[in-house]
Amino acid sequence: MQHGIKRQHLSEEAKKSKLEKDQIKIKNYKSLVDQLFQFRDDNLYNEDIFKLTTKCLLINPEFYTMWNYRREILLNLNNTEIFINYLKEDLIFLLGLLKKFPKCYWIWNHRKWCLMELVDLNKADWDFEFNTISKLLELDERNFHCWQYRRYIIANMKKDLDSTVIEEIDRREFDYTTTKIQNNFSNFSAWHQRACSIKLVKHENSYDCLKDELDLIKTGIFMSPEDTSIWLYVKYLLTDTFFIDSIKSKNDYMDILQDQLKVVEEVNELENEDTGKDNVECLKMIIFLKDLIMKQEGNDKFDKDIQNIIHKLVDLDPLRKGRYKDMLQNQVLTE
Amino acid sequence: MSIQFVEDKHIQYVIEQESHRTFEYWLSEHLRMNGLYWGVTALITMKSLDENLNRQDVIDYILSCWDSKNGAFGSFPKHDAHILSTLSALQVLKIYDLELKMLSIQQKSSLVTFIKNLQLPNGSFQGDKFGEVDTRFVYTAISALSLLDELTPKIAQSASNFIMECFNFDGGFGLSPGAESHAAQVFVCVGTLAILDKLDLIRNETKLVNWLSERQVLPSGGFNGRPEKLPDVCYSWWVLSSLSILNKKHWVDLNKLEQFILSCQDLKEGGLSDRPDNQTDVYHTCFGITGLSLIDHKKYDFIEIDPVYCMPSEITKNFKKWKK
Repeated sequence: MQHGIKRQHLSEEAKKSKLEKDQIKIKNYKSLVDQLFQFRDDNLYNEDIFKLTTKCLLINPEFYTMWNYRREILLNLNNTEIFINYLKEDLIFLLGLLKKFPKCYWIWNHRKWCLMELVDLNKADWDFEFNTISKLLELDERNFHCWQYRRYIIANMKKDLDSTVIEEIDRREFDYTTTKIQNNFSNFSAWHQRACSIKLVKHENSYDCLKDELDLIKTGIFMSPEDTSIWLYVKYLLTDTFFIDSIKSKNDYMDILQDQLKVVEEVNELENEDTGKDNVECLKMIIFLKDLIMKQEGNDKFDKDIQNIIHKLVDLDPLRKGRYKDMLQNQVLTE
Repeated sequence: MSIQFVEDKHIQYVIEQESHRTFEYWLSEHLRMNGLYWGVTALITMKSLDENLNRQDVIDYILSCWDSKNGAFGSFPKHDAHILSTLSALQVLKIYDLELKMLSIQQKSSLVTFIKNLQLPNGSFQGDKFGEVDTRFVYTAISALSLLDELTPKIAQSASNFIMECFNFDGGFGLSPGAESHAAQVFVCVGTLAILDKLDLIRNETKLVNWLSERQVLPSGGFNGRPEKLPDVCYSWWVLSSLSILNKKHWVDLNKLEQFILSCQDLKEGGLSDRPDNQTDVYHTCFGITGLSLIDHKKYDFIEIDPVYCMPSEITKNFKKWKK
């Protein structure tokens, strides 16, 4: 699978010459692979072969069968001390590989496997893992493998800790998303993580937390209203039971919705002054809010106002006009 | 002006995959079974399979990848069995013979054991015994069991429970509970629920369909896989198939998507790439072409592709449909 690599057209001659040049590499690689398969067929597991798997995996980190053989060799080491050393060295080897191939599933898988073996022996170095993943996330802040691994190590390290330390970790993870978001409001991976971790952090009450969050996102909305990631998070804040249940009365909820509506309408007006056009994301948010307000008021049919905005969206966001037409026809917002 | 679809070049491109044995070819052995499935699917979609690939050669290759130790298919001879290569193998074999007569009773029963043993108590599936868990493997396992007609109520129930645990606040699905939504994971989750006759679990989740329709971006008209990311041809399949399963293809601009897919063709040497002017590969070629089939198979004189299985509807219509 090729991603993001520029297309090249080689002449027949260049193709032939590449193939010729490749012959030595192919021969060496294939003989290495054949040799390793032969050792495996002969049920051989030793440290020399382990080194050969390293050689092979450096050339081809996607070779899942070779990762399997490598694990089999590790499991056949028969000496716990040596086993632990090998696992720790592998974690360093894997960091190098992940810097080069950050999206290779098989490398991540092997890292998890090594880590879990160390956990079973009570030898996991969580700080090392934690620093590793933080470094890797610096290199690509949207890499979902990195985020996934970060959640994975947090979940596992929490298993042995007492509740006050866990609280600290949860708070630190939540703050980490704040930093990431402030660096780049369009980093939806961080918004996603925030949506998950916000429920774990101890708040005085979730109502204040909701208020704080709405303040935080206000800046982002004004800065880049066309960014879809923020809006997904706002919708979550305004509808998830974690927050809604903390709101004391229907009136308070209505106040929040009206406040938000005011903010979004203001942003849309500014956009209108700037560009002469309504902002599509603002309009989507306005009907979302108006629909929530309408339901609070006990109405279930769109009023003229909502219908007009949906008609505008048909023109301004023609890619999704089928969706808007369905909305108008069914009188149901699609959320 | 619309770009033409260079069918002959794509056919040539797919069948030549095997003849360009560069160094990179040898480095991709681990994907060979999937590559075979992508190539076969691209060709059959263009109604050009039988005249271009020898049926017996394909079957022989697949059988040569049987891993007798684990009782399932690897990606290449001597490679270990994995759920990904196992599904690809079964899909291609099923295209050639609905009854899978090329497999012995023994082989079929080891396949079933292999797949069932990969399921964990929470309903998820590992890819192999080394423990990687991902909603991709849930789909792959469920689809494979469906092809073998070996689903059970217990497997179906726990797998769909796990899938719903991966449903996110934004309307998408991730690779495991708590993981960020991603269009390919949405396909595998929606596809799993479709095979298990459990679409009612997401019937009222209009934010899912919303999320899918938001994947289409301008100016290209292509689909991205996550918010604020670049479009990529393969999402033409992952997103449009999901919309198709949910009967909402009209929530995106199919014409714009079609133009985007066509713009990713290599007009000179055939094949499609992730984005215009990038390097082609058989994966993007397959999902670009199956994407076009979902948009309008008649226009291209393609066969119809089943959005749930990513296989010809002519074939899948004979599958025994699982009823919960």
